[in-house]
Amino acid sequence: MSTINFANREINFKIVYYGPGLSGKTTNLKWIYGKIPEGRKGEMVSLATEDERTLFFDFLPLDLGEVKGFKTRFHLYTVPGQVFYNASRKLILRGVDGIVFVADSAPNRLRANAESMRNMRENLAEYGLKVEDVPVVLQVNKRDLPDALPVEMVRAVVDPEGRFPVFEAVATEGKGVFETLKEVSRLVLARVASGT
Amino acid sequence: MVEPSLVLYGAPYERAMAVLEETLRETGARYALFIDRKGFVLAHKEALWAPKPPPLDSLATLVAGNAAATQALAKLLGEARFQEVVHQGERMGLYVDEAGEHALLVLIFDESAPLGKVKLYGKRAASALAEITEEALANPPKLPLDTEYQEGAKALLDELLGN
Repeated sequence: MSTINFANREINFKIVYYGPGLSGKTTNLKWIYGKIPEGRKGEMVSLATEDERTLFFDFLPLDLGEVKGFKTRFHLYTVPGQVFYNASRKLILRGVDGIVFVADSAPNRLRANAESMRNMRENLAEYGLKVEDVPVVLQVNKRDLPDALPVEMVRAVVDPEGRFPVFEAVATEGKGVFETLKEVSRLVLARVASGT
Repeated sequence: MVEPSLVLYGAPYERAMAVLEETLRETGARYALFIDRKGFVLAHKEALWAPKPPPLDSLATLVAGNAAATQALAKLLGEARFQEVVHQGERMGLYVDEAGEHALLVLIFDESAPLGKVKLYGKRAASALAEITEEALANPPKLPLDTEYQEGAKALLDELLGN
């Protein structure tokens, strides 16, 4: 749920990048950090291991600007994708306003995609939330892999009902990164405006 | 939603600021922050003599993450909670205490502030802030998030991220 600071006239939203290990969540944030001009972003914080695997989370604050006299900010987080870091993943979901699920196109990660989505549903349930309660965008990443699975096949295992908007991406080159962020942000704004 | 939206403004905000200011004076700490458990800053105060603080967003995010991890650890050990956390380096220290269920008090101090004082007055401030939080949650203000706001924000999104 958004946090509003009337005194500073700020509205803050929390967006979490979820998905299996090495699917490209941190790469998304790094690309965004690299492209957003100074003054519209804060410092990027990465809690990672020595081999650059996310240990707890990455964090990047973005400043959208002022709307109706309120500074609007998006706080972007990633979760650690590796299976054994579930306790950390659960903590990051607290108070989430929108989710980008970053799926991996590699054939040998199909099952990991499905397991990560199941894990996300379970973790949301711990906060009394269903996946339908939170705006979710599906990003099918690594489309440049020579043996990348068809998007529909990836989608079939994480979103068989076809509920989430889908974006194809090559996060290392920035393809689809901004489009995904924009869509989840729009969904979050639409949801708060409708008062649900 | 399960997580209530914590909004501080008007009288509760002024009271929270007064608590932070008094705590800075009593403890000799540099910075006092009142943050929610999600890592957003609700109010903050700096001592007049203190140098520019580190980025508050990063600070609040890390403290909230740390507090969440500490609470999870307490539960694993069969404790309801570990109430306060203190980190001390050679020059700087950090004191974090629960201000009720939804918020945290953070005090950042240097070697000139005695830890005993920080803990004593920190605890008192946390309890005062907990009361203010409960009050704010019980009387949520009307939010300005209407369709006009949505359209304005969407235009800014286009400007920042491209069409």
